[in-house]
Amino acid sequence: MLHVENLTKVYAPGESGGGIRATSFHVTAGEFYTLLGPSGCGKTTTLRSVAGLEEPSSGRMTLEDRVIFDSSTGVFVPANQRRLGMVFQSYAVWPHMSVFDNTAFPLRMSRGKRWSNTEIRQRVTHTLETMGLAAFADRSAAQLSGGQQQRLALARALVAEPRLLLLDEPLSNLDALLREQMRSELRRLQKDVGVTAVYVTHDQSEALALSDRIAVMHNGRIAQIGTPQQIYHQPGNAFVATFVGRSNLLRGALLERDKDGNARIATALGPVLCRAPTVTTGLAPGAALIRPEHIVLTAIAGTGDASLNRFRGRVSQVAFLGEATECVVQVGNVEILVRGPAGQYGGSEAVDVFFPPERTLAIAVDEL
Amino acid sequence: MIGRISPPVVILLVLLCAAIVPPFVFLSYSSLHYLDASGAFGAFTFEHFAAIFSSRTFGPMLLNSLVYALGSALLALFIGAAQAWLAERTDASFRQILYVASIVSLGIPYVLYIVAWLLFLGKAGPFNASLQYLFGGTTPYINVYSLGGMIFVEGLLWSPLAFLLLSPVFRNSDASFEEAASVCGAGLLSTLRYVTFRMARPALLALGFLVFIKASESFEVPALVGLPGSTRVLTTAIYQKLTLDIPPDVGSASAFGVMLLVVMAILLQIYSRVAAQTHRYQTVTGKGFRPRVVRLGRWRYAAGALIVTIPFIVVVVPLATILWAALLPYYQPFSMKALPLLGVGNFVQVLNSPSFRGAIVNSLVLGAAAATLVTVLSAIAGWCVARRVAGSRLIDTLAALPLVFPAIVLGLAFLEIFVHGGARIYGSLLSLVVVSVVAYMPYGLRYAQLGVIQIHPELEEAAAIAGARQTGTFFRVVLPLLVPALISCWLFVFLLAVRAVSLLLLLVGPDSQIVAVTLFDFWNNGQIGELAALGCVWTAIMTVFSVAFLIVARRYQLPIA
Ligand SMILES: Nc1ncnc2c1ncn2[C@@H]1O[C@H](COP(=O)(O)OP(=O)(O)OP(=O)(O)O)[C@@H](O)[C@H]1O
Ligand SMILES: [Mg+2]
Repeated sequence: MLHVENLTKVYAPGESGGGIRATSFHVTAGEFYTLLGPSGCGKTTTLRSVAGLEEPSSGRMTLEDRVIFDSSTGVFVPANQRRLGMVFQSYAVWPHMSVFDNTAFPLRMSRGKRWSNTEIRQRVTHTLETMGLAAFADRSAAQLSGGQQQRLALARALVAEPRLLLLDEPLSNLDALLREQMRSELRRLQKDVGVTAVYVTHDQSEALALSDRIAVMHNGRIAQIGTPQQIYHQPGNAFVATFVGRSNLLRGALLERDKDGNARIATALGPVLCRAPTVTTGLAPGAALIRPEHIVLTAIAGTGDASLNRFRGRVSQVAFLGEATECVVQVGNVEILVRGPAGQYGGSEAVDVFFPPERTLAIAVDEL
Repeated sequence: MIGRISPPVVILLVLLCAAIVPPFVFLSYSSLHYLDASGAFGAFTFEHFAAIFSSRTFGPMLLNSLVYALGSALLALFIGAAQAWLAERTDASFRQILYVASIVSLGIPYVLYIVAWLLFLGKAGPFNASLQYLFGGTTPYINVYSLGGMIFVEGLLWSPLAFLLLSPVFRNSDASFEEAASVCGAGLLSTLRYVTFRMARPALLALGFLVFIKASESFEVPALVGLPGSTRVLTTAIYQKLTLDIPPDVGSASAFGVMLLVVMAILLQIYSRVAAQTHRYQTVTGKGFRPRVVRLGRWRYAAGALIVTIPFIVVVVPLATILWAALLPYYQPFSMKALPLLGVGNFVQVLNSPSFRGAIVNSLVLGAAAATLVTVLSAIAGWCVARRVAGSRLIDTLAALPLVFPAIVLGLAFLEIFVHGGARIYGSLLSLVVVSVVAYMPYGLRYAQLGVIQIHPELEEAAAIAGARQTGTFFRVVLPLLVPALISCWLFVFLLAVRAVSLLLLLVGPDSQIVAVTLFDFWNNGQIGELAALGCVWTAIMTVFSVAFLIVARRYQLPIA
């Protein structure tokens, strides 16, 4: 559907110049594809390049087998000929038009088909109904609430049945409650309409909840591509591991790796046994990654000698979060974040910390 | 209530009343009374008004005024908006030229500018000559002394200000509105039509209305371009009543003045409504806002050519015409034959003449004094108004009142005050300063108010908590922060005060000749060489001030007008 190859957009020379570098990804039809990354990593730049609002420095893009950008042949299809739908971060709902006119605009501008007024009316009304905005059709767009504006922006993006829907942090302007509502709404609509979507966000929980696939971006490059499960459970590198979800990262040298995909890493706490499905043996510096919710805390087992992946520590901070409790356990001079069921510990008890080997992952450490 | 008004506010109110109430009183009084031979007021009468309404020229005059003001507003708006869009929203070449040219043009006196166009477009001017050369014939192709000529010159005169006022509108509009249109399939022209200019419409409307008002009350173009061709408007009618009739028909002139006041009051009332809508579509642009320019592609150089052409017409052509005239001993249109005659004789004469040097010094003193007084008063008044001190609404209203006076009418009103009030200062430089302060106070106040609004009240509250009293806070916290706004306020009022002729035309005396009025007299006497030379010298001086103004305004990101 959408193929992006080696897309590069430099604003200023040098690695710190912003923009994106040699980004490649493929979006298949009907997919909800998310670009996830911290602020300034180049998500918006990528999306705008796809939209045609930004002219990349080099690379190639095809949409439904048609080349929309190719630096080697000088092809650049302008934004208004790409037949896409886009929802802007600020919504960019035109305040001087009514809700109806906003939605009808893409039809009135349509190049291929000439829409008659009755067709436009039917089409717009139908789209507004889908979005739950039918009652507001004649209202000025400036009089809508934030959530309504967002739905209007979506209606406008979808009304002409675009080949691809682009969304740039559409939920970031909403308050927390509405954001959750709109999130599931968005997902449902996308599946109902059956449109392919590329979604940009810096919110990892949003990305995990919505996406079929996620491309995690870092410093203008793609760090990892995968399903939400893959990204969360098998982060390809330390950046992805720490950016998506909370994690404890114990750095150290990779000691050995057996044929079953288990490895031992020499961390500051001592050797830690973990799974290593992706890491090659040659890779010396690595880290053991364990999510806070996978750590098992137990009261001190009498003997005191540390068995496999079991370390002795002392609870140093406890934070009650409602549905769970998070505590920091001091093991030697390393702080380990542990998340568990509420009300287990009060503070400053001596505890045993256990990293279940099947839930501990060896990952490569690159630039972290 | 009264008790809560602080002494500085009371002083300010008294000053404002003293300056603003008498013009109203004298103007309406003389419009309703006969004047006897000695110039003293006689019996009450409605005759002045009755004569105006029964006159057969009144209808056409009104129509002229309307067409002239409307045409000028449209022309200025068109040129200004095109420039503003090109400069702010595109990647066209040479965009900086527009700012420089507009700012330089702010320093050219109205009379000089108009004369330049009269020479250029006149019967024997290079424009008609070129047309005759190209298309044959010996009769002039265009007559500049017509309603069309008036509209053309007045429209050009206002276009730089229209540009300067519109450019922030385009600069601050969020590009994602346009990008959204583009993604929806709209091309450049559709985007401009349905989104860019449509969203700027409230601002365009307000600005067009402003130029309409300014043109309705303008005097220079109607007097220099309109009167020779017998195209009369309301402002020139006043002037003619005072200068053609012997003895001057002050009663009729005042009656005209009162009518103009009423018209202006209505127009300004509408304007304030229109202007309040200006920011209607300027939604808060928070995250994701990036100023983005339209890539014109191969149109870039075409747009660049346009960008060079507009300042060329608005500034270079008139200045070149004036320079040509200044270098000739007696005026003749441009030709190769005339080249050997060029010399600096006019400049030598102007600079050696004590009376011309006096006019330059007087103008500078007048501008500086008026600008200083306006700035000081506005700083205090502007702070009171922006901080809503008790009594501030009254200050705001009073200081804005002079806006309803067309300059020529305010001049007339003060003429009456000085004559009847037996004021000794009539004809003195001091009288000119007083009148200018009253006239330009509204502009100064607006500047200062904007400046104060940028200062967060918490800064003052912090000073108060630190133990400073209100006056202490004003001098130690507000004033230093206000300095940039006040500097540009000073420069702006200075440029205004020395530029126009209409306000002071009726008031200058032998000892208070100023450049603008001298230029006007030169034109009426046909002394084109001296006019052009003095105009060149003066424009050079003014350019220093206007460039300083640009730099200050840019540095502190202040609105330019
Ligand atoms: N017009 C521009 N000129 C110069 N640098 C730019 C421009 N636009 C973006 N950049 C730089 O490119 C990098 C990527 O910007 P981009 O807007 O794509 O980030 P983002 O991932 O969308 O961030 P956010 O989550 O904050 O929106 C940033 O470092 C930014 O400073
Ligand atoms: Mg972004």
